[in-house]
Amino acid sequence: MEEKKYTIRIEAVSKRFNRQHLFRDISFTLGTGTSLSLTGPNGSGKSTLMQIIAGIQSPTRGTVAYSCNGSEIPKNEFFRHMGFISPVLNPYDELTGYENIIFSAGKKRSEEEINGLLEKFQLYEHRDKSLRFYSSGMKQRLKYILAVINDPPVLFFDEPGTNLDRSGKDILYSHIESIRPGKILFMATNEKEESSLCMEEYRIG
Amino acid sequence: MVEEIVRNLKKDFRVEFRNRSALNLAVAFAGITTLAISLATGGVPFPANIQSVVLWIIMFFCAMNGLAHIFVREEEERTSLFLSLNSSHESIFLSKLIFNVIFFLVLQMIVCPLYIFFLQLQIKSPAVFILTILSGGICISAGTTILGAMVSKAGGRGSLFTIISFPVLLPVLWVAIATTTRSLEDEGYSNYGNIIFFLAFSGVIIAISFLLFRYVWVEE
Repeated sequence: MEEKKYTIRIEAVSKRFNRQHLFRDISFTLGTGTSLSLTGPNGSGKSTLMQIIAGIQSPTRGTVAYSCNGSEIPKNEFFRHMGFISPVLNPYDELTGYENIIFSAGKKRSEEEINGLLEKFQLYEHRDKSLRFYSSGMKQRLKYILAVINDPPVLFFDEPGTNLDRSGKDILYSHIESIRPGKILFMATNEKEESSLCMEEYRIG
Repeated sequence: MVEEIVRNLKKDFRVEFRNRSALNLAVAFAGITTLAISLATGGVPFPANIQSVVLWIIMFFCAMNGLAHIFVREEEERTSLFLSLNSSHESIFLSKLIFNVIFFLVLQMIVCPLYIFFLQLQIKSPAVFILTILSGGICISAGTTILGAMVSKAGGRGSLFTIISFPVLLPVLWVAIATTTRSLEDEGYSNYGNIIFFLAFSGVIIAISFLLFRYVWVEE
């Protein structure tokens, strides 16, 4: 089977809120196998730029184009190719951890695969608890599972280690390292440890 | 897409069942309004046209209390992005539409028997009455689904939902009131033209909403 090569081309992207420019004319290209960390001070627009590249927000100017093996992927279909973690993304509090995973994965993942990830992130015994009773660290672990459960070729992580304790961070970072090859990894962070998981760094602001 | 719709519906019913605030509010509103009207009249029966006007006003405001929440809740609890990442906009619209139709039919099944009991309605043409209630209910849910999505993106203002829904639903209410009145007054009334109007209206609204939903839901 032919290996799929994804490319995300960011060209002269600018974002302005009212009359204030958050950033201007940002251009770079991400391809399968690359990992890029986006660093910069608070308010510099890291999360906004990540959301623009992921297709969640629109830029004020510039374009973001997605392609797989040279054929263009329409913007509204790109969500199916990506995993996303962000403080603005919330799973359903009324559902259990397991129900949220099933909602995200459908029938694409086996019970063993789901339980394997839950065990790895120490959530197996909490899988049937409503998210209302999860701590913020447990929710963050679940968000990570939801982002990677469908094995997407493109990963967008906005401060993935937020609220995690030391052991949670260790599990997370080792998992990111294990899945990174063969994917596009784009991470917005100010944590040196997280930034070092990526091969390149882009500083904003 | 069918699998996504079923998955979304299961999720919506689970969330609704575990947090019954919208259903409880709509049922409480319907029960209290019906009881209040019954007590205010002191058991004196209304003319048929007043009975049908009051019945559809209660149903309209039940819809205003309950039907926007399916979208507004996604915005308030900030789950709309999670939903969008996991479902296409077509399946989101269709699952919310089906949810609203079922939700409103359940509400009608509670409101109508209460109303008939408390106001001692004498229905002369039960078949037309039931079909009017059901098809009018489908019309209201179909019309308010896209409006609920618009209101949720505008910050979930409850009063805004009522204001923008009224002109869209006015023709439905108008015809529903007239048909309900005839079904209460005329024995053997069997003109189903208005029922066809309701179904056609629903079809047009659903088709337009389906085509426009993307522009309401997805930030371009």
